[in-house]
Amino acid sequence: MLTGIDYFVVIAYLIGMLLLGLYFRKFVHSSTDFFLGGRMLPFWAIGMSIVVSDIGAIDFVGVAGQTYLYGISVGNFDWIGSVPAMLLAAFIFIPCFWKTRIYTIPEYLGRRYNDAVRTIASLTWIVFFAFDLGIIFWASAVLLNTLMGWPIWVSIIATATVVGLYTFCGGLTAVIMTDVVQLIIMFVGGGAVVFLGFFKVGGWSGLVEKISAMGPAYQDHFNLILPVDTKTPFPWTGILFGLTFVMANAYMIGNQAIVQRCFSAKNEWHAKASMIFAAFLKMLIPILVLFPGLIAIVLHPELEDGDQALPTLIGSLLPPGLGGLMFAAFLAGLMSSIDSVLNSTATLWTKDIYEKFIRKDASDKHYLMVGRIATIVLLAIGVITSPVSDLFPGIYVAVQTFLSFFQGPIFSILLLGIFWRGTTQWGGLAGLVGGMMSSGLMYLFKESLFTIEDPFLYVSWWSFVTGFIITVVVSLFTQSHPVSRLYGLVYRLKQPQAEGIA
Amino acid sequence: MKTILNFEWLKWISDDTAKNIFLVLFVLIGILVWLLPKDYIYEGIENPRWWHNLKLWATGVLAMIFVTYLIF
Repeated sequence: MLTGIDYFVVIAYLIGMLLLGLYFRKFVHSSTDFFLGGRMLPFWAIGMSIVVSDIGAIDFVGVAGQTYLYGISVGNFDWIGSVPAMLLAAFIFIPCFWKTRIYTIPEYLGRRYNDAVRTIASLTWIVFFAFDLGIIFWASAVLLNTLMGWPIWVSIIATATVVGLYTFCGGLTAVIMTDVVQLIIMFVGGGAVVFLGFFKVGGWSGLVEKISAMGPAYQDHFNLILPVDTKTPFPWTGILFGLTFVMANAYMIGNQAIVQRCFSAKNEWHAKASMIFAAFLKMLIPILVLFPGLIAIVLHPELEDGDQALPTLIGSLLPPGLGGLMFAAFLAGLMSSIDSVLNSTATLWTKDIYEKFIRKDASDKHYLMVGRIATIVLLAIGVITSPVSDLFPGIYVAVQTFLSFFQGPIFSILLLGIFWRGTTQWGGLAGLVGGMMSSGLMYLFKESLFTIEDPFLYVSWWSFVTGFIITVVVSLFTQSHPVSRLYGLVYRLKQPQAEGIA
Repeated sequence: MKTILNFEWLKWISDDTAKNIFLVLFVLIGILVWLLPKDYIYEGIENPRWWHNLKLWATGVLAMIFVTYLIF
């Protein structure tokens, strides 16, 4: 539970974030400023923002809990499940997107394929983000209530007010610059737990020695590569095919909340560099989220629920005062996730739906206002729908499963669209829809098709393969766009005598 | 069908070989990065300095992940 000094730290953090975010209001004069930070941001800020947006408050507890149960193989998600995809994004996809001056990934799909593909992709993301917002709010508030005794609605209202105000006023610039501070706070707060934990278990060597001596149940706890027939959800085949080849790429290349940040870079070099810098930071994230799970094995080996690992560790390790810092780190994780979802969904709605179908030729000021209103409406939806998670306990898993429905297919058409000029609009549409349907069918019959309990990695891979094959086959029998329409949309396809266009 | 979907046909590959597959993947990515044209790497920079070379950045990150997977 929090003490007086802890409350001071938390309140100072919230006020500081609000003031910092509001400061960037003066840079927002147009819709480009609001949605893309005026395309003037440096690589280091974007890189830090990409990483912090990817870690929520619930990830701290969830990853530590899974590490407690399965060992460091969970780290695959931050290492091989991020770094290769981020390099592919940095060197191939981001430069191409950046040069086309797009606002959203569905906008690229619309130009490369057709409006149907754009609309399906955009609506899918909007629905996912809208549901996800309420779930993030509730799950994080429940977590903070359990950890620190903070009332659930106080957490929700306080974070919604602060995040809503600075995202509404400062747009993407405020989101990215507050993310920078939030990442630092997460490293300091999370680092305190790891530092004190290591001190108590005798450093890294003491940790390895003690866990290894705990018996055969822990023999794989320091192995990143687990066999095909492992009982954990992380066999190496799933990690390689499902995670590395599909989910990671779909996330780092096809996720609006991640890629939109790179569009705000001041030039192409900064856009590329931001993703590589983020990859470097990603390599360090397991220190914060993975090590506490290992330390808890040594200090609290009796826990039945892995998700109790981090809360128990915080209770036993952190002295009064540092609790507030850890609380601020959790809030940082929560706020960085919410501001990203808000700004990205507002962009998708304004650019892909409102500007395309509702009001085409309005002034820039009008679209800026629509983006701001969308931010507030989404925030209200998130807050109002958050208790739904309490009524339907399976909704968190359901929404995350929904994400894996379309990640594989969307990556298949992005990959083919950028590397093969022969991909046609009908191939892309059929691949997207067919791939998503294959995901649904695989989940429907998962008991009879898969041997592991939660086969999301395998479903991602096979839905990617299905989407890929359908796209190729349909493309071979339909007519592609004229080459002149594909300039800038296909890798290294340059317009004759026009420099600076990919 | 189940055998294919669950990758049971790759059961014969040992954990050590699987680890080597991961390591080869990192090396392969490194080679592909170094094959990218120099001009392409510096696009957007008017007066490139050595530290603007993103191939070096990528190599550093790949070295970190290579060592991590080599050890664990």
